[in-house]
Amino acid sequence: MNPSLAAVGAAGAPLAGVRIADFTIHAAGPFATHLLSQLGAECIKVESKARPDAFRKPHAVYGRMAAATFDQVSANKLSVRLNLKLPEAVALARRLVAVSDVAAESFRPGVMQRLGLGFDALREARPDIVMLSLSSSGQSGPDSHFAGYAPLFGAWGGLGWMSGYPDGPPVEMRHVMDHSAGLHAALALVAALHQRRRTGRAQHIDLAAREVASAMVGDALVQSALGESPQRPGNGDPSMAPHGVYPTDKPDRWLTLAVRDDAQWRTFARALDQPGAAQDERYATTAARLARRDELDALVAGWLAGRDADAAAALLQRAGVCAHVSWNLQDIADDPHLRARGAVTEVSAPGIPPRPAVGAPARFSVSSGCGIRRLTPALGEDEDYVFGELLGLSRAQRDDLEARQVIY
Amino acid sequence: MPGSDAAAGAELPLAGCRVVERSRTPAAAYAGRLLAAMGADVLMLEPAAGSPLRAAPPLLAGGMPVSALFAYLAAGKRSRVCELPSPGGHEALHAALADADILIDDTPVAEREACGLAPPALARRFPKLVHVSVLPFGDSGPKRDWQAEELNLLHASGEGFLLPNGLSNERFPERAPLKIYGHFAGYQGGCMAALAALSAWWALPAAGGQHVDVSVQDAALAVGAFALQRLGDGSLEHRATRRFRYGGVFQAADGFIELLTLEDRQWDGLVDLLGRPDWSADPALRDPLERSRRGDEINHRVREWMRQHRVDDIVRRAQELGVPAAKYRSPADVVHGAHERARGLFAPAALPDGRPAEVLLAPFQFRASPLALARGVPALDESRQAVPETAR
Repeated sequence: MNPSLAAVGAAGAPLAGVRIADFTIHAAGPFATHLLSQLGAECIKVESKARPDAFRKPHAVYGRMAAATFDQVSANKLSVRLNLKLPEAVALARRLVAVSDVAAESFRPGVMQRLGLGFDALREARPDIVMLSLSSSGQSGPDSHFAGYAPLFGAWGGLGWMSGYPDGPPVEMRHVMDHSAGLHAALALVAALHQRRRTGRAQHIDLAAREVASAMVGDALVQSALGESPQRPGNGDPSMAPHGVYPTDKPDRWLTLAVRDDAQWRTFARALDQPGAAQDERYATTAARLARRDELDALVAGWLAGRDADAAAALLQRAGVCAHVSWNLQDIADDPHLRARGAVTEVSAPGIPPRPAVGAPARFSVSSGCGIRRLTPALGEDEDYVFGELLGLSRAQRDDLEARQVIY
Repeated sequence: MPGSDAAAGAELPLAGCRVVERSRTPAAAYAGRLLAAMGADVLMLEPAAGSPLRAAPPLLAGGMPVSALFAYLAAGKRSRVCELPSPGGHEALHAALADADILIDDTPVAEREACGLAPPALARRFPKLVHVSVLPFGDSGPKRDWQAEELNLLHASGEGFLLPNGLSNERFPERAPLKIYGHFAGYQGGCMAALAALSAWWALPAAGGQHVDVSVQDAALAVGAFALQRLGDGSLEHRATRRFRYGGVFQAADGFIELLTLEDRQWDGLVDLLGRPDWSADPALRDPLERSRRGDEINHRVREWMRQHRVDDIVRRAQELGVPAAKYRSPADVVHGAHERARGLFAPAALPDGRPAEVLLAPFQFRASPLALARGVPALDESRQAVPETAR
């Protein structure tokens, strides 16, 4: 193995030894393969100079006017160039798949087939290949040709409609929707690997991101299927009061509260020095508190108005009440708990000053090596290993392919 | 997997995988549910009074009270009463774990030992067991004993502070941040728990059984990684400013639409959709950076146009032109959607009182071995009643 790849090695990680040929682009698909790479898989990202992934370019709609210096979902990945418009590059892609366990893509349905890299073609290259096709609306169905991004997944899937102030418009889902689709895709991929281990057969996973959005409203869909009309609850919860987001002593510093039951209500009121309210019959039961929810919200807002949010959260947690400050990302980056768990980690590299990133997705008692082992690869950075060692191309062959812009 | 279910489920991805689930939270229940949908045999161990999720809102109208949330999360699983801590409960727990591959568990750290669920003790007794703990803040770290519901966790992971963005925030800038509907953070934790479980199970030949610590907060933060990346870029996101420079939520004549054009060709399609108005002919708008700078002006124009057109007409024409646009669909739209029906997104699942219902089967398809639920929504302790202990 090329010495430069020692840093990429994940010996001891749960998915060590699994190799992914990664054709995914944008956010959702790359997050799936990034997660698997954090769990130890070797992920080979295929791009080209002609069609680099979005993070290598300015993204004006997001307000990013230059390429990203660090891209979370590209971390840990190896990079190779293949100009898939050319048949020789497609043939090389098939050879890469032949030495991989997983092939992942997130183009619009039909693109991989047109490139000669559809499931049947890949299964010819590798008879037990596990393939992921992640798209907005899936590989089949009347809307399968629809193009979309995260906010559209949420809109189609019902999550956007169910989220929002009860008297307001629906709410736009952002990257969490992309990445949730990727998380579900990663799960399906590992399940398919188990199936392959058991049966030796290939599998093609078809993940429609809009269906992940629908899975987030699965309870409301049960209601609708029975003819009911679920309503948008906003911050409310039909079984808890108080339940909401309350202002505190500083502007835009909010405290989230979820009081589960009558005993917690009494504890909560006493912890905030309101013994009278703890004994007040008007608020003694969940039903009574729900009936007076607006009145109660105003009361609680008054109690919290002069309090420091962080101190109040700590006080209430000591009393066993569900409370947490509405954190911004700086709070998260600085949190000792997330740092201790490795959920937030600090990364740096030449030219990249130390910065926070999302680390290992879980903590394993025996397996080791999970997390970020390497940052965003330069385009084509790992071709010595991938084209040279894995595919056995000589330097002269690669030079020729580069000259003819097959490797480009 | 008992009896006739075995043949039907043999082809499923996780056929033969035996999962025991102890869940009081949507996170753990969703983990089990995803595994069940892929063919695992998932046995819920419930207290004698039933899982708290059986009473969780929203409750379905009519008949005996049935939780729609529980129906969604328990479909495809089996149920057995296992009261912990109690002598009989410990025995039942050990019997269930004797032939289990994976335990999904959301027992709070402080209660584990009394319940016989402390990871070291379980590891000694069941050395090949993958024991996945999924808790609000995980089972290690300074906040491992903190308590939280969905609302708290969404805000502990950063996304809560960032919502609502776009049109909602424009209309109600002074209001408190807003949660995503339902159990979004919990579901990320559940999906991560299922992923971690299968990953550890994959490593079983090399690593043996092990304990895995999953946190809902971590998982919700992971899917919000882009905001942390933006922080590293020097931008602290806020719901008031986290909006697309142009595009977003639009009110049409009869509903709401999401519209987003990230690429030049999509912008060209949008201009066609709008009927090539004079303002769009400004050559400066060929530059995406200029469009971003003039995003408010563009949105104002698009809003005026949207109000005069119907949702279905806009979406159909937009998609023809390659412009990403979608209707904000209600749950009823989704349930009755032609696309969803064609894809078989829903599966029948009888409720515990016998009423027929439908649940979303799974948010992914396995085209070489289509998924199916082995059973409906289990009544409490149905597996003990259905399958005599001696027959197992």
